[in-house]
Amino acid sequence: MHKPFSPSRRRLLAGLGSASALGLAATPFLKTLAATGTNSASDYKALVCVFLLGGNDAYNTVLATDSASWSAYTAARNVMPQSLALAPPGTPRVASADINTPAAYGGVLPIVPRTAVSGRSFALHPMLPSIRDMFASGRAAIVANVGTLVQPTTRDDYLAGRGALPPRLFSHNDQQSMWQSSAAESPQFGWGGAMADLFTDANASAAAFSAVSATGSSMWLAGRNVNMYQVNTNGPVIAGFPKEWLYGSRYGWDQLYAALRTTRADPLEQDQVALITRSMGSASQLSAVLPGTGSGGVLAAPLHTNPLTGAVGPNPLSQQLEIVARMIAARTDLGAKRQVFFVTLSGFDTHVTQNQGHTDLMAKLDGALAYFNSALASLPGGDASSLVTTFTASDFGRTLQSNGTGTDHGWGGHHFVMGGAVQGGDIYGQFPTIGLSTATDAGNGRLIPTTSVDQYGASLASWFGATGDQLDAIFPNLRNFGSARTLGLFRG
Amino acid sequence: MLVALALTACGGGGGAGDSTASVATTGTAVASIGTAATTPADAASADSADHADALASRSTSRIAGGVASSGTTQTDAARLLTQGTFGPTLADIQYVASLGAKVWVTEQLALPYTASRGIQAHVKAQAAAGVAPYQDVVLDGFWKQAVTTPDQLRARVAFALSQIFVVSFLGDLDDNTDLVSSYYDMLSANAFGDYRTLLEAVTRHPAMGKYLSHMRNLKEDTSTGRLPNENYAREMLQLFSIGIYQLNADGSNKLDANGATIPAFTSADVQGLARVFTGWSWAGADKTDQRFWNNPPTRDDIAYSTPMQGYPQYHSNAEKKFLGKTVAAQSTANPEASLKVALDAVAAHSNVGPFISKLLIQRLVTSNPTPGYVGRVAAVFNDNGAGKRGDLGAVVSAILLDSEARSTDVAATAGYGKLREPILRATAWMRAFGVTSLSGAYTVGITDSSSASLNQSPLRSPSVFNFFRPTYVVPGSSMAARGLVAPEMQINTTTSVAGYVNAMYYWVLYGAGKQGAAGKFDLQPDYTSQISMAGDPDKLLDHLNTLLFTGRLSATLRQQLKDVMNDIPLDGTAASIADKSRARVCLALLMSLTSPDFIIQK
Repeated sequence: MHKPFSPSRRRLLAGLGSASALGLAATPFLKTLAATGTNSASDYKALVCVFLLGGNDAYNTVLATDSASWSAYTAARNVMPQSLALAPPGTPRVASADINTPAAYGGVLPIVPRTAVSGRSFALHPMLPSIRDMFASGRAAIVANVGTLVQPTTRDDYLAGRGALPPRLFSHNDQQSMWQSSAAESPQFGWGGAMADLFTDANASAAAFSAVSATGSSMWLAGRNVNMYQVNTNGPVIAGFPKEWLYGSRYGWDQLYAALRTTRADPLEQDQVALITRSMGSASQLSAVLPGTGSGGVLAAPLHTNPLTGAVGPNPLSQQLEIVARMIAARTDLGAKRQVFFVTLSGFDTHVTQNQGHTDLMAKLDGALAYFNSALASLPGGDASSLVTTFTASDFGRTLQSNGTGTDHGWGGHHFVMGGAVQGGDIYGQFPTIGLSTATDAGNGRLIPTTSVDQYGASLASWFGATGDQLDAIFPNLRNFGSARTLGLFRG
Repeated sequence: MLVALALTACGGGGGAGDSTASVATTGTAVASIGTAATTPADAASADSADHADALASRSTSRIAGGVASSGTTQTDAARLLTQGTFGPTLADIQYVASLGAKVWVTEQLALPYTASRGIQAHVKAQAAAGVAPYQDVVLDGFWKQAVTTPDQLRARVAFALSQIFVVSFLGDLDDNTDLVSSYYDMLSANAFGDYRTLLEAVTRHPAMGKYLSHMRNLKEDTSTGRLPNENYAREMLQLFSIGIYQLNADGSNKLDANGATIPAFTSADVQGLARVFTGWSWAGADKTDQRFWNNPPTRDDIAYSTPMQGYPQYHSNAEKKFLGKTVAAQSTANPEASLKVALDAVAAHSNVGPFISKLLIQRLVTSNPTPGYVGRVAAVFNDNGAGKRGDLGAVVSAILLDSEARSTDVAATAGYGKLREPILRATAWMRAFGVTSLSGAYTVGITDSSSASLNQSPLRSPSVFNFFRPTYVVPGSSMAARGLVAPEMQINTTTSVAGYVNAMYYWVLYGAGKQGAAGKFDLQPDYTSQISMAGDPDKLLDHLNTLLFTGRLSATLRQQLKDVMNDIPLDGTAASIADKSRARVCLALLMSLTSPDFIIQK
């Protein structure tokens, strides 16, 4: 198993230029940064992390359709009792087909990356037509085989147990933490929060909204300076009814608020007091300026239609992106210059009956990203889509090998980056050879990542406005990847 | 208008005479076995000294188990009941104070599991009454049990177990009320039993089979390369038994020569174990393919609450290696034999004692137990004193009676204790104020909303990783600065803390649950005794200090509560005084239930 701090490994890394490459020296760096937070910003930029909870099956999200890839894919996925192999490009949907079978979804959707890869051709899941269109129009890009890494890792390294590996591979909560924190042990802070930390001065009065989650607690947003603000999808929630009497007491609410905000000596009590104090201050500040949806406001999130059952209901991802769009629309009134947002879509842990579940999730992702793109383009005050970059992340990819009706926990996976600033229409990183026992196979088709989360994150952070040294501080393992620090995802 | 409504709605006036069930004290529970019980109404209205006498005289006949009674303070009694029940009642506080912690724990452990107090009994009764079998019925059954059942310790431990051995309606449970209620009852039935038995019951329950998808998991197929689904094998190791790292006996991580943590299991272990969990599906009279593949014919089929059976035709007969054990290749696939080897191996792993003990301590007592505390409890897990391993009743007793749970000096140290999760705040309010259900069905329903409810519903965790992780650290917090975790804080958000205030505003005022035909909310508190003290705020606050705050109401909050009450003069007509007395009580309760003094359990 992994040996995070073996002496030989440390010598090797020292030779590469840093003894702190394993993250041991990360804390002092970040503390220094936290004390400053003085990056200036005259313009506005926002990063939106769409976290696909459970581990998205990248193999059925972005596909290689050249004949060698396709036959390896089909061999591993077309097994009894339920084939997980999607139909090839051009296959029409069979309306009468069982909705648990790929025939019901139709063929994968071909895409043509700007940079051709010799002998390879590519496609997207049949339920990603909007992302296909945004890819074609240059508004969306794909980053291939991204995952948690401490350093470049080969199959031989992995099998021989050589070199440092991310701890607790294949474990949901641990790999979510690794993705979001980029720290090896006991992470508490995330790289979204670390980016926001850089701009606390620039955000000034909007500092409380530097890092916003529309979905509860998020490690990615946790900064040393900034506290994440968790917003309800309908907008800020005010504690109580301050303009009313309270149970017959004219000043009852004032007295209650004073009690809620009374500081305490005990740390656990004080943490509760600090949280509700922040909640009350932020809710009142935000509710004063937050625009609504519909006419004159922000485009409202549409309902989602399950493409297989026809069931109509809310799309939780669109609902979260709606409040993000509303907050972005309030950026000038709030005085915000740099914001990071966190939203999630759950259900990707497709161990069983993957076909139906994953297909609807793809439709939800596609619908939500298309909605968000439209909402930003039509934002009150003008098109904001070039100011906002949206990217996907997930616990891990999944196995290529089917278990009969689903797939198991993997490692690397493919991800989307969307926005007007993105140099879209291309696949970044290295698209893996599809098959078992390939150079990127950690077993059963678990992809050994060829692009690290640090490189992916640094590319986004660089656009956001982090400088070179700051990237090293935020992503402590970035230096292990030599000169390949960022992916060139953005227009020049 | 709101004011008028408030004054008429705020409990105590109308009474709840037509309720069919009420808060039972754990003391009367025991009494019902052999001696006359005191009704809650008696308990609420009795002078506390008289009541204590009554309880003391009633209880002497019950100390038959040979456990000496030494009594304890009201503070200690209230703390014990906060740790080991869904919330203290005044009667229980007096009862425990008169008997001492050890006697109470011993009495509670001796109460047998009673199916009629289970959630499935509620589900069946509701179904018989023609109520549609939606998941709300299961949740209502939880609340009914939490508020009313006399075997409070068992119920409270079952709730803790439901946050370790997690299944959730947010997963693939078909909204089946029998499936989920029988799972929860299974946890109750095994709460004081044997860990190995519990682990097998969890593993084979069809709710878990569906939730972690080992139901209908197929053996490998070497011709196509198909592999078994690894889901249950992995999560069972990581979350239900041994955890992710090798542990010392005190729950701390073992370290290798380089100071690094050591994984408790490998991917190869998971893959080996995954083969064990192949070929399991619905129980029934035969093992046909049809029974394996098809759901039972009716929603209330007995198979929904019967352990899954093995189907040899779908079970891997290949060699299975995990955790240093090997199940040899089987000439005829034998799922039961494979399972026995696997669960024996897992349950015997040295990690289980410290891993499970620490989780239970965190759920009941404190988020950051010392290694010594974990070690003492884990030692009891490893050997209950009679040579038996995995005696969960002994473990629970060790947790609650440990000096680190009982000592008020320890409890006063910075960062000790835990944030009460929202469900437990609500049950504490319900039990403290004798909440009764007008319908008898405790129709609380789903309480997920972060903006207007609890941001938490029982049996609706977002994933098998529970509502919060045991290692969660609030970034940049005072606790974090001390290196302390605060798991429950993970579901305390800038939205939910405001939503909780708003939920309590309504609950304190109008009651909780669904609105009945008369527009009244189903769960009604009885504030009669509190209203009787409204003219004497100090007396009322002494009372609340015992009932809600385990005796640790801070001087600051006490003054704030006095001020808000005294701002409402009790003058005018008798009716006006009565209304204003209720207003004083509701103000004090809302401000109490939202205060850190209450929300943080010490």
